[in-house]
Amino acid sequence: MIGIIILAVILVLLVISFVAYYYNKIIRLENRIDNSWAQIDVQLKRRADLIPNLVESVKGYMEHEKGVLENVTKARSALMNAGTPRDNIKANNQLTSALKTLFAVAENYPTLKANENFLQLQDELTHTEDKISYARQHYNDSVLAFNNAIETFPGRTFARRMGKKEKQMLEIPEEARETPKVSF
Amino acid sequence: MTVEDQIRKNKRDTAFVCIFMLILLFAVIFVFGFALGFPPIFSMAIGLPLSVIYVLASYSFSVQSVLSAAKARPADPRRREEKLFMYKVEEMAIAAGLPVPKAYVQDSSDINAFATGKKPEDAVICVTTGALQKLNAEELEGVMGHEMSHILDRDILLATVTVGVVGAIALISEILLRSLLWGGGRGRGRNEGGGWLIIIAIAFAIFAPLFSRLAYLFISRRREYLADANGAYLTRNPEGLARALEKIKADLPDDPKGSPTVAPLYIANPFKRSLRNSVWSTHPPIDERIRRLRAM
Repeated sequence: MIGIIILAVILVLLVISFVAYYYNKIIRLENRIDNSWAQIDVQLKRRADLIPNLVESVKGYMEHEKGVLENVTKARSALMNAGTPRDNIKANNQLTSALKTLFAVAENYPTLKANENFLQLQDELTHTEDKISYARQHYNDSVLAFNNAIETFPGRTFARRMGKKEKQMLEIPEEARETPKVSF
Repeated sequence: MTVEDQIRKNKRDTAFVCIFMLILLFAVIFVFGFALGFPPIFSMAIGLPLSVIYVLASYSFSVQSVLSAAKARPADPRRREEKLFMYKVEEMAIAAGLPVPKAYVQDSSDINAFATGKKPEDAVICVTTGALQKLNAEELEGVMGHEMSHILDRDILLATVTVGVVGAIALISEILLRSLLWGGGRGRGRNEGGGWLIIIAIAFAIFAPLFSRLAYLFISRRREYLADANGAYLTRNPEGLARALEKIKADLPDDPKGSPTVAPLYIANPFKRSLRNSVWSTHPPIDERIRRLRAM
């Protein structure tokens, strides 16, 4: 009799820990996605904050490149006003290519390239850009882990009960995926 | 196997190795006491708390002792190279979804790097000034990815703790061996028929350090391949790390710096170029690591 009771208790405990494990796993993976989106958001804001300083330090040197600067400013305000994640990413891609043009044009201005302030801003903007692409990569990794967890058995059964659906990955623009070519 | 499964497996391995080391340390102290003629209960009463305290102490002071053995200092953001290194550490932390480790620099012309810490929250990544001067951004990123995945996989705890315990076992066994060979008359005189016990004690004193070291090295080598692979997954660029390893291989340190204790923690053994595979290597041969990275 006692043997049966002990067996039943062990079985119940096993089932409870099994359910708790998968429940917690799904919640944890979902929170990780939210958290990694927050990380992207932080970096996008940081980048938008750096732009006015950059424009300020470049303006004096680039009298004849008004269009380049305007594109940067325009892309920045689009980023500030973006509401949905999708708009956010789109505006950010615009800003990336506008900045790329600006830094390419800056190569023609030796005095600007020697400016300490400009160099620091350039380093920091490149850094922020890298952080954004790594944050996106981590977001996609998190989505992949979550989707795998809720689409495979036995997570699938729990996810249905919990009303969880698979999430969408962010599309990474073509040029961001390329790694810089290095020559020796 | 997903990253989560890998982490779980590594945590289990780490706990297993820590317990193994604890038992080995305890056994060494026990045999030591036995050979010196102390009663077994006494050796147990001394040995058990002593080994637990030792493992806990290597756990608590691990980061500081590793950093001071390597003579590392915090990276200085006023120098551009070191600022860019801090940036890379932060980027890799974001890619791995971990808190940003502290960035340290070791003044040395060799190309090397290591990660240490008890958990991701208090982790440290340290590079040599040689690495900052000789590696380009892509290669440095590859090395940072490798170190970050040591942190992600919880390898740093195992490495840091075992570096301490392996050292202690070696030290205690050495004392045991010496006292048995030169001052061991006491045990023999007390117990006429116990000659075979002395032989066991001597054998134990010889083999315990070998076992502890081999167990650690076996796992450490496997983890290097894993950290290479996961690091390449973080940067999405195996070529960066492969090129960094090539530079390390070509850059033979003519005057190896740093402490041998820290050697297993580095990305590549600073004391010799590990070209051949051997059970005594802390790292797999560099050529094989490069080959595996290029095959990804």
